[in-house]
Amino acid sequence: MLRSDRLTGALAALLVLAAPSAAPGAQPAQASPTPAATATAIQEDPSALLRSSIDAPRAVSYVGQFETVRFASSRASATIVKVEHRAPELTRRWYVAPEALYGDYVITRGISTYQFDTKHSQETVTHGPALDDQIAASGNFDRVLQNYRAIYDGSAIVADRPTVSIALINKYTGERAMRVWIDRETHLILKKEEYHANGAVAAQTRFEDLRYTTSIPSDIFSVDPPAGFARIAGAAVATPSSDVDKVIKEAGFAPYKPKELPQGFDLRSGDVTTVNGVRTLHLLYSDGLRSISLFENATDAAADFGSLRPKTITFEGHDAQYVEDGPTTLLTWKEHNIYFALVGDLLRNELVQIATSVVP
Amino acid sequence: MMINDHLSTDLLVDYLHGELAPEDDALAHAHLASCAACRREYDLEVSLSETLRAAARAEEREMPSMISALIWERVRGARPGPLARVAALLRPMVAVPVVAALLLGGWFASPYSHPGTRPTVDAMYYLETHAAQSGSPLSLQPGPPALETSMIDGSTSPLIAEHVESSHVTDALDAAF
Repeated sequence: MLRSDRLTGALAALLVLAAPSAAPGAQPAQASPTPAATATAIQEDPSALLRSSIDAPRAVSYVGQFETVRFASSRASATIVKVEHRAPELTRRWYVAPEALYGDYVITRGISTYQFDTKHSQETVTHGPALDDQIAASGNFDRVLQNYRAIYDGSAIVADRPTVSIALINKYTGERAMRVWIDRETHLILKKEEYHANGAVAAQTRFEDLRYTTSIPSDIFSVDPPAGFARIAGAAVATPSSDVDKVIKEAGFAPYKPKELPQGFDLRSGDVTTVNGVRTLHLLYSDGLRSISLFENATDAAADFGSLRPKTITFEGHDAQYVEDGPTTLLTWKEHNIYFALVGDLLRNELVQIATSVVP
Repeated sequence: MMINDHLSTDLLVDYLHGELAPEDDALAHAHLASCAACRREYDLEVSLSETLRAAARAEEREMPSMISALIWERVRGARPGPLARVAALLRPMVAVPVVAALLLGGWFASPYSHPGTRPTVDAMYYLETHAAQSGSPLSLQPGPPALETSMIDGSTSPLIAEHVESSHVTDALDAAF
């Protein structure tokens, strides 16, 4: 650990020790009293506080508003969402901005998601078994701690709530990958920043307004289609499997795998889905915080960018196309009669380097 | 041949059928005008030819009208066989346009003439699947991390769409700081 990090950690720990008395007015309606032993462990170990923050939404209910800003290479975009959450697993998000989404809302009930498109009077229902897998989330967190070092990084007031900040530092590169601001009393994450490898902010999400309450009417979370709405089934969500060899056999063709990945990344899961009649293999690589998806199909099916505006880039003699979705980049190309699509929250040149290693 | 020589029978026959060379024909004509013997011989040949023609005409028989009508009816009503029809199709006036039409139809039906109809994978599928499965365990909000991606018009991400005005960003940043 760097000396400055130790100093920062010690200062932060002192702040955390003083935190309970520094949180006047905090009235979490459902926050369970933290046992003294657990509190001590959290104060001494930022990792323990992080782990506690993962479970916080299952313990506290709240209403509020948060905004997300996602930064692409040359521009950014934002969404503002009102949210009602009743622990453990009922959530409604109501979009305020951008204008194109205004009035639309999404209700999440455990593993099921109901999207209400008010402009088209349509409710789309999706069931994603992977979304609520707490064991998987815990596994992901273990992976985070394998590859990242958690350190206290000051304190701040977010949405009128006192928070303590924790930074996650990549163990291999020493770069800060993420910073979260955690409510000192409820341990809910109130603000999050993600960073690119070059230090640039990739995305920021923060509560602007937050009020803990248990008085949220059940009607808020009703998923019955409003009058005049049509309910349709959403696209089938592939169930990722950790048995990647079995998944590859299901794909029916010999896939390629990247030979160069950022340190800490490894193959986490795979799935095979038929999209528009095209059998598509999806391999997911992750280091816990960041992920890379590699899609392959052997049926000569290129990516349809629709209204997106892809740009062309050349590497290793291939004309590839890419689009940026905030900090996420999608890169597609064809090689050895296989169409590849690489997606990740990495810088474009990092993705190109990985793409080059897929078929060297 | 000289003008005073009598005409042989062969010459008379050839003269009668107009098969002599012009100069011989002229000499034969002049000799017949002055030679009574050759003229009698010529008249005899002419008479013989007329007799043969008359005899030949007398041998001709006209087909009974009913039989003729039946034959023509059969001819008009007869349908060509399969081979005859195929043969008819192979006539250039028919075959060339047909082959051209088939080639054009085949081209427009093939994926090469309009690659837009080839199977494709929606780029949003890649982005949404990645977003759905790559969620970090550290998140502000429960549920899938990037539902916004599929909300606008069912296809266009507000995070990509051009109509997401930069003012949103400015306002958001102003509010954040």
